[in-house]
This record gives sequence, structure tokens and C-alpha cells, in this order.
Amino acid sequence: MELEIRDIHKSFGENEVLHGISFKVQSGQALGLLGRNGAGKTTAIRILMDVFHANSGQILIDGKPFRAERHKIGYLPEERGLYPKRTVTDQMVFLARLRGMKKADALKSAAKWLERLGISEYAGRKLETLSKGNQQKVQLAATLIADPEIVILDEPFSGLDPVNSQVLKDVVNELIDAGKAVIFSSHQMNYVEEFCDSIAIIHRGQIVLSGRLSEIKREYGQNRLMLSASNYQAAQLESKLRTEFSDILSVSGKTKTALILNRADNVSTSDIMRRIADSDIEIYKFGSYEPSLGDIFVDKAGDEE
Amino acid sequence: MKKFAVILKYELKEYISSKGFVAFTLLLAIIGAVLLCLPRFIDMSAFTGVDSSESSNEEETVPDTPAAYNSDKKYALYDPGNIADIKLLSDYFFGAQFVKVSDTGELEKMLEDETADAGFAVKSQTEYEYYVFNKTMYDSDSEVFNEAMKAMSRARYCEQHGLDLSEITQMYDPPITVTEHILNKNTTQSYWYCYALVIIVFMLIMFYGQMIAVSVTTEKSNRAIEVLVTSTTPNSLLFGKVIAGAIAGLLQSGIILGTILVSYRFNRQLWGGMLDIVLDIPANVLIVFAVFGTLGYLFYAFLFGAMGALVSKTEDVSKSVSGLTMIIMLIYFFSLFQLSNVDGIIIKVLSYLPFSSYTTMFMRIAMGSVAVWEIIVSLIILIASVIGAGMLGAALYRMGTLRYGNPIKLSAALKGLKKQ
Repeated sequence: MELEIRDIHKSFGENEVLHGISFKVQSGQALGLLGRNGAGKTTAIRILMDVFHANSGQILIDGKPFRAERHKIGYLPEERGLYPKRTVTDQMVFLARLRGMKKADALKSAAKWLERLGISEYAGRKLETLSKGNQQKVQLAATLIADPEIVILDEPFSGLDPVNSQVLKDVVNELIDAGKAVIFSSHQMNYVEEFCDSIAIIHRGQIVLSGRLSEIKREYGQNRLMLSASNYQAAQLESKLRTEFSDILSVSGKTKTALILNRADNVSTSDIMRRIADSDIEIYKFGSYEPSLGDIFVDKAGDEE
Repeated sequence: MKKFAVILKYELKEYISSKGFVAFTLLLAIIGAVLLCLPRFIDMSAFTGVDSSESSNEEETVPDTPAAYNSDKKYALYDPGNIADIKLLSDYFFGAQFVKVSDTGELEKMLEDETADAGFAVKSQTEYEYYVFNKTMYDSDSEVFNEAMKAMSRARYCEQHGLDLSEITQMYDPPITVTEHILNKNTTQSYWYCYALVIIVFMLIMFYGQMIAVSVTTEKSNRAIEVLVTSTTPNSLLFGKVIAGAIAGLLQSGIILGTILVSYRFNRQLWGGMLDIVLDIPANVLIVFAVFGTLGYLFYAFLFGAMGALVSKTEDVSKSVSGLTMIIMLIYFFSLFQLSNVDGIIIKVLSYLPFSSYTTMFMRIAMGSVAVWEIIVSLIILIASVIGAGMLGAALYRMGTLRYGNPIKLSAALKGLKKQ
């Protein structure tokens, strides 16, 4: 199964918030939907879930028009909340029944997920009596109770301690292994890198980068090198490179410990290495630059102004 | 439709499983039933005028003497001319005790010492003074004493002129027998149950309307709406909530009102029919009350739900629904003020408007003259308005549910809808 969002435009009043966004996700894969706060991620998800109607564009499943009510979708919103005064099982069964499950099946599934997430003992308790982390687990269980084919997780790790994060990581991996199409939205890039085969970065209502993560990283690192010296501070090194090496490289950025360099056209990595070795720079670290997802995100979604 | 049923069931369970709802309903029903069954267990003849030990098949008897002024007070009486007839006074002040005193000083002292409740100083056959320490609002001692003085005066006159007092009384004030044949409506009776029904439907709309608005806002404020709107349609959510509230309201008022009416029917004779004015409601009025009341309730409930969706915090709900509550209050006061003039133009107009027909139409049916076509037209307008309110409510709800932050003004919301 392939779910494709194609050229979606959405306006609220005069204000267009999505300017033609497109991305795809397949069964058994996770897509990292990234973007800064207010970039348009939640609006895109709500259009996918048919809460909002797009002004133009298409949503397709295996090439055919997608109708949210005909598919099982599990949605864990960033803004969490269920019914504080109702019991855990009661509201889980209610949500499962809204998604078309029979009561008996819903009860069984609720028990299974509560067990899986280690919160069975709270089944009969009112939600408000549970800790925040456990309430979050209940919400995750409610998301997955109806065995969805598409799972949308918006910031699933926020508010979880390391132990619960590990439980959630296992669950997400199980979902991917079970062939679910997972859309994963988070600001915690390490989790995105861990789960997602592909990413789509939304910035100001536009997709500024999308594709397979491994390819993006490779492409992003192509022609780029990383250098640090033991006898020069980063700023001094940068100044030196800009004045003495501008014919073969340019400095395109810096990480915590090293400078990121772009090779000039027709200059090989060996040429650069030789020139640096011949200079007074004592190389501490030199090699191909492989950007982290965080670097890519800041580069694409950081404001230039 | 299936999702609507699931929501309806879930919301209804919320009401019915609420301890407050169950306790309030049962408590009022039980209190009502117990109070109405009281004459079966204790002698309330002094209050009801019916001796509970009498066979319930006995005809109601009306006492042939004027109702005496029941009093367990002690009166000081200064009567230097021996004008007052103590026996006659005792007939007028039933159960009271009269103590003769030698002067007004002694009389006043008795009042100050609280050994007497009040006192009379008879100065002549047509003049007396009334003494009391603190006069209460309900003090009618002097009025009763007036009557007693008049009676004494009549008796003296008859005695002096050799006349038969009882014969003159018979001639002057002959007992008249009257049998009423009311061919259509007894408004003196329907007035009070209409009054009660207006209050009941007003309370139901205000109480449940507010509950629905708060319930909608709570789902926004605790963000449950985020999951709900992606699991079902806003229409199912709003309609489920409103209909559940309607069922809960009907159930609650039905249980309380039903228990009270049935209890009274079983105990009516023991009460001597004295509560007929409130509790002997004709079936046709009850049916019209239920139909119009339910539709009026639904009309407002949809609007309350929509108003709830326009705010994000429960503390803003009362502000959001203030316009609606104002309209309901105005209709309520207009209805009560015009209750004695149900055939007047104001009530006639109000009985067609959906904002007010839920209460004014059954008032007209119970107390005024209304043609069947008028009821049908009013009903059609109300049903159409309920559907309209449902659609408008759902549209506002759909627009408001996912908009957090500052309350959305109704005018802005309506403008937004118009643009869409």
C-alpha cells in the first residue's frame, strides 16, 4: 500500500498555509514528517484525516482517491487528551467503536494493548488518576486499539521517561515490522533517524526537502568535507582557509568541533588534503562530512534572516 | 448513523452513571412521593381539611360554620364595661385563652412579661384598642376581633328589640348552593400547573443547555476533540451530545414528574383534591408540554452546543452562552407575566416563534382558546427551526472545534460561515 499526498494547497481565509505539499509513505515504512512549529504539519495531517478539506490537490492510496473514513487510521495527536473522568477501558472501547470495532473485539484489543504497554492494572481506573506518562501510554493504546493500517504519531515521545521511551520505540518498530504505514512527526531527530526510511521537511507550508533519508544524507554530504586542527581555533582556522585556500574550497558551516568545507569544482579530496598537509595546519580531524538529520533540518528549516 | 449511536450511548452513560444525576433524580422523586403519601401515615386533617381516618369513599363535607381563626395565643382583655362576650370571642379565636385584667397598665405589663401575646381594651360597643408587643406580618388579631365585636353588636341589637338573631342571619346571609359546569377550561385550576410547567421547562433548558455547552468546551480544553474529530464527524458528535442530553433531561423530569403525578393520583382523595391546581394536569396538556418542551429544548441545546464550541476554556462558557440565556430568561418572564392573559397578542405571537413556542403554546392550550391549525403551524415552525438550529449548530461546532485560543465572537463565526 502506498499513501500519497500530492500538491495539497490549503487556505484559511485569505491566508494560504500549505502551498502545494507532496509526500508518500508505504506499508512497512515510516515517514518522518518534520517541520518547525507552525510549519503546517498538523494541518497536513488533518487534511489527510479529512478533518479539513484541501483547496486543491489529491490524496491517493495505491493511485486511487483516498477516503479517510474507509481506512483504519490511528492518530496520536500532539495535543493529547482524553476523558479525565472516565475509566481507561471505557474510553478506549468508545474510541474503538467509533472506528468500527465491535464491543467484544474492542474490549479484547484494549486489554491486549494495555498489557503490551504495561498498564493493565489501570484498566478500571479513571484517567485523571494516572500519571502523565501513563496517560500518554493510554492515549497510545487508544491510537492503536482498532489495528490501524496507517498510524500517525505526532510527537509520540514528548513527556516520556527513558524507560517508557524504550517501550514506545519497541512498539513503533513492531508496527513497522507488521507492515503498517507510519507517519512520524517529531522534533527529536534521533528518533526520526532511528525509525524513518524517508523524510519530508515542511517549511512555511512548503516541502523543502523530501526523499529517502540515506540518500538525502549521502547527497547532502557529497563534495563536503570536515576539518579541525589542533593548533587553530575554529574561527582562526576559518579565517585562514578563507584567505589561503579559497581557490580549492569554501567554508560552508561549522559543527561543534569542526568546519564544514565545500570542494571547488574539479578539485579532489586528495588535492585538498595535500595542500593542508603542506601548510602549518596540524590536522586533528579530516574526512567526508556526513550530516546529521538535525543539521539538515536546521539548514532547510532554519530562518536565514 | 452507527457512530452517532455509539456517541449517544457514551454520552448518555456519562449522565446516567453520574452519581449526582442518579442521586438528584431519586431524591426528588422519593421526596415527592413521600410528601404526597404523608396523609396515609399521619393525620393531616388540620392542613388538608380531610380526616384521614374517614373512609375514602365518603363525600367531601364542607363545614357549615365559618372557618374559625385557629389560635393558641393568650390574650389579655380589659373590659371595664363588660361588653365582650368571652364565649363568642372563643368561637372567633378558636383555641385561644382570654384573661381579664383590671387596667391597661396590667395589660401592657403582661405583654412586656410575655405572659400574654396580645391584648384588647374594649372602650365601648364600637370602640376598642389593640395592644401587641411586636406586630408580625401575618397578625390578623384585630381583624378577627372586629368581626367578633360586630357579631356582639348584632346579638345585642336583636336582644334589645326582641328579634331572632339566627333568623336574621339566615335572611341576611343565606347559604347559597352553587354547582359549576365548566364546558371548556378551568383557568383558575390550569394557571398553577401551567406556572409549574413553565418553570420546569425553563429549568431543564437552562440546566441541560449549560451542561451541553460545558461538555463541548471540556472536550476542547482537554484536547479529547483532537482524537474525536478524526474518529467521527462533527455532526455525529454534536447530535450525539444534544440528543443524549435530551434523553437524560426527559428521563430525569419524567421520573420526577411521573412519580409525583402518580403518587398524587393515588392519594388525591386523602388530600381532598387540594393540590389539583398544580398536580391534576390533563393528559393533552402533558402531551403538548412534552412535545413542545422537547423540541424547544433541542432547539436551544443545538445552539448551546455551538456556543460551547466557540470557546476553549470552560470558564469562558458562561460568557459565550450569555446571549442565549438572556433570550431564555426574557421568554420565561414574558410567559409568567402574561400567564393570566394567554389570549393576548403577545402570547399569540410568542406561540409561533421557535424561541418561545415551547412554553407559550402549551399555555394557550391549557388556558386559552387555540385552534388545531394554530398548533400544527406552530409545531411545523418549531420542527423546521430545530432542524435549522441543528444545521447551524453543527456548522458552528465544526468551525469552532479545532480553533483554540481566544473565544470566537458569534458575529465573526457567522461571517466565517457565510464566506464558506
